[in-house]
Amino acid sequence: MKRFVALFCALVLTLPLFVSCGTRSDDKDSDGKTVLKVAVLESAYGKKMWEDVTAAYEADHPDIKIELTAEKNLEDVIGSKMKSGDYPDVVHLATGREAGLTETMIRENSLADISDILDKEVFGEEGSVKDKLIEGFTETAATNPYDDDKMYMAPMFYGPCGLFYNAGLFAEKNWTVPTTWDEMWELGQKAKAEGIALFTYPTAGYFDSLMFALLCETGGVDFYNECMRYEEGVWESKDAREALDIVAQIASFTEPTTVANANNDNYLKNQQLILDNKALFMPSGTWVVGEMVDAPKSEGFEWGFMALPAIDSESERYSYTYFEQIWVPENAKHKDEAKNFIAYLYTDKAVKIFAQSGAIQPVQGVSEILEGENKLFYSIYDTGAKAVLGGFAATNPVEGVSMTDTLFGTINSIVSGDKTVDEWQDAIKKTSDSLRDALKK
Amino acid sequence: MRKHKGRRAFLAVCTIPALILFGVFMLYPTLNIFIISMYKWGGYSQHREFVGLDNFVKLFSDAKFWQSFQNTVLLIVIVTIVTMTMALLTAAILTREKLRFKGFFRVVFYIPNILSAVVIAAIFSAVYDPSRGLLNTLLSLFTGGHAGQVLWLGDQKVVIYSIAIAMIWQAVGYYMVMYTASMSSVPESMYEAASLEGAGRVRQFFSITIPLIWTNIRTTLTFFIISSINISFLLVRAMTSGGPDGSTEVFLSYMYKQAYTNSSYGYGMAIGVLVFLFSFALSGIINLVTRRESVDL
Repeated sequence: MKRFVALFCALVLTLPLFVSCGTRSDDKDSDGKTVLKVAVLESAYGKKMWEDVTAAYEADHPDIKIELTAEKNLEDVIGSKMKSGDYPDVVHLATGREAGLTETMIRENSLADISDILDKEVFGEEGSVKDKLIEGFTETAATNPYDDDKMYMAPMFYGPCGLFYNAGLFAEKNWTVPTTWDEMWELGQKAKAEGIALFTYPTAGYFDSLMFALLCETGGVDFYNECMRYEEGVWESKDAREALDIVAQIASFTEPTTVANANNDNYLKNQQLILDNKALFMPSGTWVVGEMVDAPKSEGFEWGFMALPAIDSESERYSYTYFEQIWVPENAKHKDEAKNFIAYLYTDKAVKIFAQSGAIQPVQGVSEILEGENKLFYSIYDTGAKAVLGGFAATNPVEGVSMTDTLFGTINSIVSGDKTVDEWQDAIKKTSDSLRDALKK
Repeated sequence: MRKHKGRRAFLAVCTIPALILFGVFMLYPTLNIFIISMYKWGGYSQHREFVGLDNFVKLFSDAKFWQSFQNTVLLIVIVTIVTMTMALLTAAILTREKLRFKGFFRVVFYIPNILSAVVIAAIFSAVYDPSRGLLNTLLSLFTGGHAGQVLWLGDQKVVIYSIAIAMIWQAVGYYMVMYTASMSSVPESMYEAASLEGAGRVRQFFSITIPLIWTNIRTTLTFFIISSINISFLLVRAMTSGGPDGSTEVFLSYMYKQAYTNSSYGYGMAIGVLVFLFSFALSGIINLVTRRESVDL
C-alpha cells in the first residue's frame, strides 16, 4: 500500500511535465471556419492597424477566422513553435533583423512560392495585384531571392532612405544643401569652423542604404547588381574603391563620439546629435521621424531629407528604397488562404488603414493619401533622385562569414582609425569570394 | 530483507521526479547540442546535413571566434582577480575592523547584485557617455575642459576594460557577503592568540583568515568563473552589441550571432560545445591548483 502511495505521488509530480507537451489540432474552429494564423512584427507603426485589417478581412470573408500574433520580439514567439513544427500561415517580418529568421528561411529554402498572388484580382476592385503595385518592387532580390522569376516575399511597407538633416539650421546659417560630394566636403570644412561635425550615424548597420546608393553612383545600377551577386573582381574595381573612399572621407568628418554610441543601446544619442545641431547629416530611413518625435529639438528644428549627393554635377543621384516583406512558410497549412489574405492587403481599404498609422505600401496612387512630412519624404523620386532596390543575393549560410559585418561593421574601425581602407577592401573581397561559392542556384 | 528492498524501491521512486527533470532539462539538451554541432543546419527547416567535425575544423580557422575567445579569457582573468581581491578585502574590513555603519556598507555593496543586467548596462552607459557621462566629466576637472575625451565604449583598446569594470561592480557585493559569512565563523580567540604572538593585521589576514575560509574561496571561484561567461554575454549584448567592429565580442555573443543572425545553427552549437568543454576544463584546473590540505577548526 505504502509503495503504491509513493508511486502515485511520484507520478503526480511528474505529470505536469507532460501536460503542455500535447498539441492541439486547430485547423478549424468550433463554427467550422478555417483558422488562418497571421504573425506580424509589431514595429513602430503599432499593432492596431493589423487588428483593423484582420477584422476587415474577417468581415469580408465569413469563412475565415484569423488568429493574429503581433509581437515586438516575433522571432522569439514564433521561432520556438516553428522548431516544433507549428508554422504560422502568413508572416510579416522583414530581412535585416538581428535574429535573422527571414534570412534563415530564405537560406533554407523554406519559403513558399507566392508568385501567383501577382495575378490575383484585388478583392472588390478591378485589376490584379500586379497592376496595382508600383513597378520594380517585385523584381529584386528582396522579393525574388533566388534570382529567378518566382516571388517568395511580397513587398509591404516601403520608405526612401537617404540623408536626414535639420533644414532649420541650413536656413539659419544660410548654407545650401550640397548636391555633389565635393560640395559636401566644402560644407564639412565650413561647419567644422563653427564646431559642427558634418556627419553622424545611428549604428554602422545604417550604412547599408548609403552604400547601396553609393555603388549605383560610382559604377551604375549594373555594377551595383554585380556587387550584390558577389561577382568576381567587383570589389577590387575602381568604382568600388571610389565608393569606399567616399565612405572613408565621411568617416573623417564624423562626429567624434559617434562610435561610442553606435550600438543598439545608445544609437538614439547619435540621432540626437542632429536634433542638437552637433552634426549635420545622418543616413536613415523615414522611421527616424517617429522615433525622435518626443526628443528635445533645437530652436527652429525642421526635418530635411535628401538623396545622396552626386559624384559630380553631371551624374545621377540615388536613394535606396527600403521595404518590409511578407511571406508564407513552405510548411504552412493554409497556403492558398494565406495568399488570398496577402492579396487583400493591397486593397484600397487595407492601404488606407495602414497609411493611417504611417505605414505606406508601394501601390499606385499612394502619394495622394500622404500627409505632412511624409509628402516631402516620398516625393524624393519625383524631384530627380533614382530609386535603388534590392540587396545582397541569397546564399547558403557560410559559417563565420557575414557581409554585413565586413562591409558595414568595419566602418566603426575606419572612423576610429583602427583599420585602413586597404584592409577593409581586402576583407570585403575575401568575404565576397567565400559567399560567391555559396550562392543559391 | 523484504523491508530493505521496499525501502530501496521507495527511495528509487522518490528520486524519479528529480531524475526525470534532470534528464529532460539538463541531460537531453546538452546531448542535443553535441549532436546538432555535427550538422549544417539553419535551425528551422527539416533538412539537416551531417557534416561530422566540419564545424569544429572551420571554427579553428575562424579569426572572429578566436577574437571572442581572447576577449572572454581576458575578461575572466581580469574580472576574477579584481573581484575576488576586492571582495576578500572588503569582507575582511567589514568583519574585522571596528567601523561605523557596517550594515549600511553591506547593503550598499550588495545592491548591484539585485539589479538586472539591463539596468547595469543602462547605468554604465550613462557613466561612460562621452560628452555628458560621469567619468569624462570627472576627468575634465583634472585636464581642464575638453582635452582628451575618452571614448569608453568607442575606443577599441579601452572598451573591453569598460565592460570588465561593469562586471566587477556587479559581482563584488555578492562575493563579499559570502566571504563575510564564512569569516565571521572564524573564532575570535585565534586572532587574539595571534596578536599576542605579535602578528599584525595583514599577517592575520593571510595566515588565519584566508586558510580558514579556503574551502569557501575554492567553491566560489569555480562558480564565479562559470557565471562570468554568462554575465559577460548579457552586458555585452546590452552595452555594445559586440562592437565597435567586434572588439567586445565574447563566446556567447558570437555564438548567438552565428546561430541566428548568420543562420548557422549547427556552427553556433559547435561554439556551444567548445564553451561547455572550456568551462569544464577551467573548473577542473581551478579545482586542481587550489587544492590544499583542509584546515579544520
